[in-house]
Amino acid sequence: MVENYDNRSRPFQIDQIFLDVASEKDWMAQALLKGLPSTPVVSVRDKRLLIKEFLQHPDSLGSGKRNILMTRFLGKRLKPCPGTSQHICCGYHVINALTNCPMDCAYCVLQIYLNNPLLTFYSNLDDLLQEIDAFLSAIPGSLVRLGTGELSDSLALDSVFPLSRVLVPFFAEKKNAVLELKTKSVEIDHLLSMDHRGRTIVSWSLNPRRMIEEEEVRTAPLENRIEAARKVQEKGYLLGFHFDPIIHHRGWEKGYEEAIHSLFEKVDPGRIAWISLGGFRYPPPLKITSGERFPNTRIFLGELFPGRDGKFRYLMPIRVEMYRKILGWLHDVDPALFVYLCMESKEVWERVLGWSPRNTAHLNQMFEERMRRFL
Amino acid sequence: MMTRPPFPETRTALQEIPLNRIDLTDDTFSTNFMPDLRALRSSITELGLLEPILLREKPEGYQIVSGFRRLSVLHGLGVEEAESRIINASDVKLFSTALHENLTTRGLNTVETAIALHKLVHQFKVESPLVIRDYLPLFGLETNVKILSTYLSLAAMEEESKKYVLQEEVSRSNIRKLASLSHEDHLELIPFLSSMKLGESRLREILTLLEEISRRDQTSVGKVVRGPEIQEIIDHAELTLSQKTERVKRVLMALRYPRMNQLEESFDKKKRQLHLPPGIALYHHPYFESKGIRIEIQFMTLEEYRSLLITLSLLSEKVEFRELLDQEWP
Repeated sequence: MVENYDNRSRPFQIDQIFLDVASEKDWMAQALLKGLPSTPVVSVRDKRLLIKEFLQHPDSLGSGKRNILMTRFLGKRLKPCPGTSQHICCGYHVINALTNCPMDCAYCVLQIYLNNPLLTFYSNLDDLLQEIDAFLSAIPGSLVRLGTGELSDSLALDSVFPLSRVLVPFFAEKKNAVLELKTKSVEIDHLLSMDHRGRTIVSWSLNPRRMIEEEEVRTAPLENRIEAARKVQEKGYLLGFHFDPIIHHRGWEKGYEEAIHSLFEKVDPGRIAWISLGGFRYPPPLKITSGERFPNTRIFLGELFPGRDGKFRYLMPIRVEMYRKILGWLHDVDPALFVYLCMESKEVWERVLGWSPRNTAHLNQMFEERMRRFL
Repeated sequence: MMTRPPFPETRTALQEIPLNRIDLTDDTFSTNFMPDLRALRSSITELGLLEPILLREKPEGYQIVSGFRRLSVLHGLGVEEAESRIINASDVKLFSTALHENLTTRGLNTVETAIALHKLVHQFKVESPLVIRDYLPLFGLETNVKILSTYLSLAAMEEESKKYVLQEEVSRSNIRKLASLSHEDHLELIPFLSSMKLGESRLREILTLLEEISRRDQTSVGKVVRGPEIQEIIDHAELTLSQKTERVKRVLMALRYPRMNQLEESFDKKKRQLHLPPGIALYHHPYFESKGIRIEIQFMTLEEYRSLLITLSLLSEKVEFRELLDQEWP
């Protein structure tokens, strides 16, 4: 069974730091050691052996989340969001400065996606910044969205791997990009004093209270997320919200309506960059892995069937019904909210919104137009 | 590598021990489950006892270490003495000896393997990592905790469930599914499962459906199985086991996926209203993930072909056909 560390000061517990000798002199490695002064440090020469050893652990995923590997990454770390085939995606770019997440959501695809179970931080941050610079220089007229939330929750780990301390000022200088920091944590205090110049969007994944308690282990409660959003909005940050994955469960309507009501009691809809809606979807192996790790999870008990991309999704009428209702509650608050569907077909877009982006490029263009209103 | 020597410390020469000095009820070292003694009885009747019994001396007579089946046959045949060796060692060494002897002579069935592993862990207090490392290979099993816990969960099941597992040669993954259900569920489930013809994959499907329905509805598997639709099928005297299995599966699918079932029924109803000839088949998109209909036509002659084309050309005039295309969901 997966443990919960919610009562601790940090949303995670670290047993050991494995420090690749190649990273020892990098300042991010030093920052990590300073952030966790009493955590044992083991020097590593061959990280492949370490990873192999962790993979043999009976609960490699669980133990990996309690151990940090600080190493260097020599490949590309800025990539177009892989999205999913035969569906409309949003043209997002992902920054993979670290992999794995200290939180443990029953639906998290990382459980089957990563072949390295450790929380892995890449210390050669300067190389990453150069890579982002080169990418942005090549597309001067665009306005692209980049985010850290695909393979980790970087904000949750900022106290030990201070990525946003680097990225927020870095993006503040950029004319053709915005940074999205996507999180389920409330680790935002350090953001409040930063000069972001409107180029950083802080966004939260939201779900009803009950779903957070039952399915999102070690994440912040809904109220705390909303309060954190209020604080950063007060400091001029644009906000994003992701109702994703939307989980169809008994009482879902009440749960999502209440979550939306709670959100807009504290947050100004006029300074929200975007809100996404995405029904729970999963590649087939996730059901086995998650089912073993979370024997009480109820996320697989809905009417889920294989879609065109091989992932299981709720039956289309169920998805459409959920999207329509949630969209209705959002538009009751403010019809001008920019709401999009994540990884959905044109047909679903049309049934829910009455129109559809022509393709991924078209949706991306709409995002650009949306962002230019705020910048 | 074994951590302990596999053989006992002392063993005596062969001697004849009267059966009335042997405690036949002491099953400390037994792993027997539903033994089939017919072949052994024939052998002993014809040739006598070929291998001596292993016994341990206890204050009042002897305890059987190895030879439970042989002694049972000898007792049944009215034999008064059995050629035996008396051995002495720690409990775990004796049990290990018994296991080795059984595994090299007759082998253990699935339930007996489960009983053996359960005794090692719970009765002889061998730590699980040692059982995984030293004993699972003895049974030809992979050395991991999941395998051990599967067998331990089987050992903890009731007799009827164990019998079902043995008789139906239930796989390890299905044993795990059965083990996730409660004792009360087993009591209702086993007679229900026995009333159908279930292969490996059908059993997995039925168990998965039952488990998911009961968890979603927060009810017991027993209550799902007792439902009137299922009981009617099970009690239907004229249905074959295969027919019962298919019908039960359909009912469970409808319970598990009510919205999908509703869509299927609505689609089939409209399709029937079209009164299509046998050569035309209509299909919806897989899982209703998109609008659109696939039409399949089948014919043997040009005449049939022309007739089908006329029928197809008239379809667009029918309200039911347009409704099928629009797919306004219930």
